[in-house]
Amino acid sequence: MRDLFIVAKFTIKDMIKRKSFIISNLIILLIIVLLFNVPNILNAITGDNTPSETKTNILIMDKDNIFEGTLEQLNDMDLGYQAIISNEDLQLEDIKSKIENGEIEEALKITNQDGSIHIEYIVENLAMVTNVPESLVNAITTIYSNLQISKLGLTQEQLASLVPNFNFEMTQTEEQEVQGNQFAMMLMSLVLFYAIYFCAYQVSSSITTEKTSKIIETLVTSTTPRTIVLGKTIGIGIVGLIQIAAIIATALISNALFLEEGVLDGIIDFSNITPFLGIITAVYFILGYAVYALLYALTGSTVSKPEDVQSANGPVAIIAVIGFYLAYFTMMNPTSELNKLAAILPISSPFCMPFRVMMGIATTQEIAISLVVIAITIFVVAKISIKIYSQAILNYGSKISLKDMLTMYKNKNV
Amino acid sequence: MGLKVENVVKHFGEKLAVDHISFEMKEPGVFGLLGTNGAGKTTTIRMMLGMLKKDSGEITWNGKQVERKNVKFGYLPEERGIYPKTKIYEQLIYFAELKGMKKEEACKEIDYWMGRLKVDEYKDMQAEKLSKGNQQKVQFIASILNNPELIVLDEPFSGLDPVNTELLKNVILELVEKGKYIIMSSHQMSSIEEFCSDVVIINRGKTVLKGNLKEIKDAYPAKRLEVNVKQDITSYITELGMNIEKNIDNNYEINIDNEEQAHTLMKNLVNNNISIDKFELKKPSLNDIFIEKVGA
Repeated sequence: MRDLFIVAKFTIKDMIKRKSFIISNLIILLIIVLLFNVPNILNAITGDNTPSETKTNILIMDKDNIFEGTLEQLNDMDLGYQAIISNEDLQLEDIKSKIENGEIEEALKITNQDGSIHIEYIVENLAMVTNVPESLVNAITTIYSNLQISKLGLTQEQLASLVPNFNFEMTQTEEQEVQGNQFAMMLMSLVLFYAIYFCAYQVSSSITTEKTSKIIETLVTSTTPRTIVLGKTIGIGIVGLIQIAAIIATALISNALFLEEGVLDGIIDFSNITPFLGIITAVYFILGYAVYALLYALTGSTVSKPEDVQSANGPVAIIAVIGFYLAYFTMMNPTSELNKLAAILPISSPFCMPFRVMMGIATTQEIAISLVVIAITIFVVAKISIKIYSQAILNYGSKISLKDMLTMYKNKNV
Repeated sequence: MGLKVENVVKHFGEKLAVDHISFEMKEPGVFGLLGTNGAGKTTTIRMMLGMLKKDSGEITWNGKQVERKNVKFGYLPEERGIYPKTKIYEQLIYFAELKGMKKEEACKEIDYWMGRLKVDEYKDMQAEKLSKGNQQKVQFIASILNNPELIVLDEPFSGLDPVNTELLKNVILELVEKGKYIIMSSHQMSSIEEFCSDVVIINRGKTVLKGNLKEIKDAYPAKRLEVNVKQDITSYITELGMNIEKNIDNNYEINIDNEEQAHTLMKNLVNNNISIDKFELKKPSLNDIFIEKVGA
């Protein structure tokens, strides 16, 4: 136990003192801070210090007074537009200069052409615009309809029946209710995958370095191969957890300091981020990391030359990618049986289960089964990896084949 | 007391790497473990240090199985290895702590040995910035800083310049004086002859020669004769059927079949009043014995 602690402590100190580690992590944290400052940076560039809830200035020209002054109602509707109503008939050149000097961003020119209403939508560049904004079309249509109906001299009841107020409600037939936001969950799944994958990969690199540089010869005279593998895995895992904690803390602090309240409401439902979800995510990070780190420990110990480590790690990388995509794509239909399976399979559950918990569709029974399955997997993988590692680590010949690994595993004299 | 290796066998798959090797080190000193590349030396060392499990046989230290808990050992592997990016002092503390030392105790030992081996100025440097020789001295420190009873040195002098070789030799002698048991494996036969009282030579996993080095050498008859004279004596040599290996200015190196031939030659030279500056029967060196035993 003492040796395990010493190996883990040395691994942590050795990693966090490296210049490359410090610089790469500072860059990641800086990028996060910058991302949360994008609205502020854009405001600083455009010189606009008003709150981020800006509206698009649109000039609406009704030279024939078709709407009889009713277009002012557009400013009462929450369309994201500040409508400037005019009865002028500006030419395209005049509108262009208004757009260029920032007075307006868009314009609508309404004219009566042979009894039909012609509306011209004018923007700076049509490259990013495929249609006239639907909300604007609907609003103008409604205003015009109301204007014409009001001229018919109908009673209030007749008017009400013509303009019904529908009350839509959404209901699902499945019992499980899905909460939260899929985009945010998929993003977090991606982050968790990369965190697990790259931390586990570090174990492989570290083991290969010790083997190829022959440090292992000195280490195995002082402690057992088991202690080296587990100590290294624990050490790198702790560094990984600290990295994730630093990333999340930076994101939360940046959100509180730099973003206007409610900006992320459409992306993340903060009510779903509970301490329980935090614990589940941390637990699955640790367990997922343990599975992949121990597999990488095995492959890392089988090579004698650093240039062979990529090909040796290939099979584990394929398993990890399959696990991730199984979780990622089944999240699009989180109540499907395949997503339930992904949450239980040990290769995909670390990327899937935290998000089923976040969506509120993971049952206690599912979580328990998933945890038991991944715990058993870790035990089996650790047993196999440590046994093969113990023999492979002192074998400097050619690359160890699968057959050699089987022989090593069956070897009782270890 | 001491180290006892008895009938140790090790297979790697079908290959027999070590075949019933036995030797014993009864008292402190330096023991020579010799063999060609691939003879089974490293495998034997790894089994002695518990890094590899033997298939059969016994390896004991003071009558107990050689395990980390029973014996404090130090190992300088042939293939040097230290963490290239880590500071020297930090990695020496790591190795010392893994060997069961407390940090304060480790610092004291590291300071002493770094000073003794003249590498104390590099303690805060990354290992990769040190010369090969200095890296080797650092690794030597790593192998002895826990004050081991049994020390295995695999090619301890390779890569060292003459000054550092001398420094390391003095340290080894100091360790012997302190009662350490040292097993030295080397291809530098002069080093083995200088330090070792007992040797074992293994070839293809088998013991081909073992025992006291002086007794081994004494048991070998002289095969060469060195004669320095002031005139040409080629005819005296050839008439006795001996073969001249080298002749530079009447300094002869002669291969002989037996010592009797040398005695006859001396008698002939004396009888003919030939003045002799040097007449020496050369016993085979350890190098000669090694080549004879494993070179074929």
